[in-house]
Amino acid sequence: MDTLRYIAYRLLQAVPVLLGVSIITFTLMAATPGDPVRLLVGDRASAETIALIRDRYGLDEPVLVQYFTYLKNLLAGDLGASLRYRVPVSQLIAQHYPVTLFLVVYTVVLTLPPVIALAVWSARRQNGPADQVIRLLGVLGLAVPVFWLALLFARFFGVTLGWFPVSGFGDTLPDHFLHLFLPALSTSIWVVPILVRTLRAALLEEMGRDYVLTGQSKGLGDRQIFRSHIFPNSVLPTLNLFAVIVAYLLGGSVIVETVYAVPGMGKLMVDSILARDYFVVQGATLVFALTTIFVMLAVDLLSALIDPRVTP
Amino acid sequence: MTPRKIIPAAAALMLSTTVLSAQDAIRIASPNKVTVLDPIVSAAGGNIEAYGQLYARLLRRGADGALEPGLAESWEISEDGLTYTFEMRDAKFSDGSPITAEDAAFSLTRVAKDEASAYPAGFAPIKEVTAVDEDTLQITLEHPSAPMLSNLEIFNAGIVSKDDVDARGVEGAFASDPVTSGPYMVEDWKPNDRITLTANPNFWREGLPKIQKVELIEVSDDNARATMAMAGEIDVNRSVPWAQVEEVNATEGVSVALEPSTVMYLVLPNHDKAPFDDLNVRKAAAMALDRAAITEAVTRGNAEVANSTFSNALNYHDASLQPPAYDPAAARKLLEDNGLTGTEINMMITPSFEQLATLLKAQWDAVGFKTTVERVDAGLWWSKLAEGDYQVTVNWYYNETEDPDLAVRWALCDTCGSDSYYTNYHNEEVNRLTDEALRELDDDKRAELYSRIQQITLDELAQIPLYYAPFSIAYADRVKGLTLTPALQWTLEEAELTAD
Repeated sequence: MDTLRYIAYRLLQAVPVLLGVSIITFTLMAATPGDPVRLLVGDRASAETIALIRDRYGLDEPVLVQYFTYLKNLLAGDLGASLRYRVPVSQLIAQHYPVTLFLVVYTVVLTLPPVIALAVWSARRQNGPADQVIRLLGVLGLAVPVFWLALLFARFFGVTLGWFPVSGFGDTLPDHFLHLFLPALSTSIWVVPILVRTLRAALLEEMGRDYVLTGQSKGLGDRQIFRSHIFPNSVLPTLNLFAVIVAYLLGGSVIVETVYAVPGMGKLMVDSILARDYFVVQGATLVFALTTIFVMLAVDLLSALIDPRVTP
Repeated sequence: MTPRKIIPAAAALMLSTTVLSAQDAIRIASPNKVTVLDPIVSAAGGNIEAYGQLYARLLRRGADGALEPGLAESWEISEDGLTYTFEMRDAKFSDGSPITAEDAAFSLTRVAKDEASAYPAGFAPIKEVTAVDEDTLQITLEHPSAPMLSNLEIFNAGIVSKDDVDARGVEGAFASDPVTSGPYMVEDWKPNDRITLTANPNFWREGLPKIQKVELIEVSDDNARATMAMAGEIDVNRSVPWAQVEEVNATEGVSVALEPSTVMYLVLPNHDKAPFDDLNVRKAAAMALDRAAITEAVTRGNAEVANSTFSNALNYHDASLQPPAYDPAAARKLLEDNGLTGTEINMMITPSFEQLATLLKAQWDAVGFKTTVERVDAGLWWSKLAEGDYQVTVNWYYNETEDPDLAVRWALCDTCGSDSYYTNYHNEEVNRLTDEALRELDDDKRAELYSRIQQITLDELAQIPLYYAPFSIAYADRVKGLTLTPALQWTLEEAELTAD
């Protein structure tokens, strides 16, 4: 029951956060110079046509009035309509969001096994040759820009070897896995080193603690100490960092989605900002914020599950 | 099978199924997106290309570019050039209902008179469009208009179904599955990603189109499109950057075609603001530019240096004219003599003009200007341009037909709606000649009038022409007979796909 109350409380907390996000996004978009209507109707449109459309979409109202209209619709569950496509924002999000979510989860799935394997291996043989190599590769992985790596992967695995598609999302589930493999791998290569470093450091710190010595003196095996004490205690800091990274991946999807022409939220966001498609940017930001809130909540709940000392 | 082989094997299997099922589908990737399906509300690139597939016009263009009967079987023009009478052919919309003169009257009235019509310039002389009977359409004009027939072929003159618009309303009829008169209809539209078209079974040209399905995919990143083309995931890359032409040509199964266009790149000075309101400054700026070298550097020799304020693909383009020749010493002297040395220039550009801007700045600074480059995104660029809030900028434009009327209206005439491409260039005589040339039906006289316009605008440097660029489009070898016409229309209805 406590957990449920905690979840409800956290979700309640999310309301002012979302409101704040919406105010900031709305103000920033309104303050960004550039006319959505011109981009909508093409360069040849006459001033009269532009004025007509501005009026039709309520774009000549004061910003405050526009915001309250927006908020009123939002409370009624209406995210508004895209200025460009004249379709509901919710339809655009429903079309693009699953793609990015798939990509993020896929990246996470590709990321976790190597992170755990490499960090454990590296920590248990501290300063050995394997540790050195893993650390060196980690620095390399961090230093290589994601877009460049993505471009190389696309050219090599996609064009030269022809193993993987270099664009799109596909139609069926196996298709999705195939199409998003290179994008997920490119992102993963950048995330793995960060997490390996954190987990390795945490493992080393825990390995030097007194309870390890106590356990050993009582005749517990090294393996058992590692599995049931050191590892769970080390995971928490990494898990928190991981939550931040997942939130970042949502926003960072822009890069890989561009290089691999993946029709996800990153692409929708950038295109909408460039086209000043106000309501789409607004809606997408809210969805990103909401996702981040959920990921954070999930990590907190998971932490409590792993470590009884953490109370939700 | 070892794991090392499973991945490529599985991948190959899936790829092969995609390729097999794609035999009847052509995939065209373009940086331009389709945003709206109503042919009158947008004059933006991606939409224009899609409208051509969805809506047929009264006239069409043959392979040689000549006007041919389209939905109109024949036509007559009255002696005074004021009444056009069209005999409609027996054709059907995609939903099987007949295309009548009433539909044509409805569609053309919309594009000419509706306040939401984004680009009515070509139809301004129209007084009235009426359906005389089921098959006869009559257009009456306020005054003669030489390019009227060719304007009736441009993208927004597509015929839409009046009954459907009456039944579903404008928003509903064009939302996602419009009733179409062209070779294709919409199968599925995923905004901001792709639109899938399927052949219209009721298209009036029998046996066409030959390709069953068309996917217009929007991919903004140049590199992504190039990779997709090389990996065989698309059949057509709408826009190959000059720097990638060689690489794409070196790829097996793909080649780049340079197709004629009316696209011209130019420097746009703001005539309303210092320093470009001064002819001496414009002259010095023009003489400072080695336009041949710029064209060579930017387009790798794929474009032609521009000589006029008209595209060389337009009728009446005067090849004998030349803007001031490259002469940095004379440019420097002109600035010195007029006390203009050190004049500060602010050049506003969008990211796609980074390279060009670097070259312009270097050459302008070399003769005594002090150039700063202001980088803005397309949204801000258009706002600032339309408000006249800039000193100088660069861009391109194209013309919908081979007749120069619309180009002149857009770029050189300041009373025709767009303030001479928002440069605020003003010349009474040019405005008068524009109108005169529109009404003049004699070819030789029109040639003279347009030659005069070119002469004046070049003397006054209304704009500084840079180069005439062809379309650079990559096609997979299996695509036959597809081109993009100068009017931004794919010739998809006659194109074919051959087996690999």
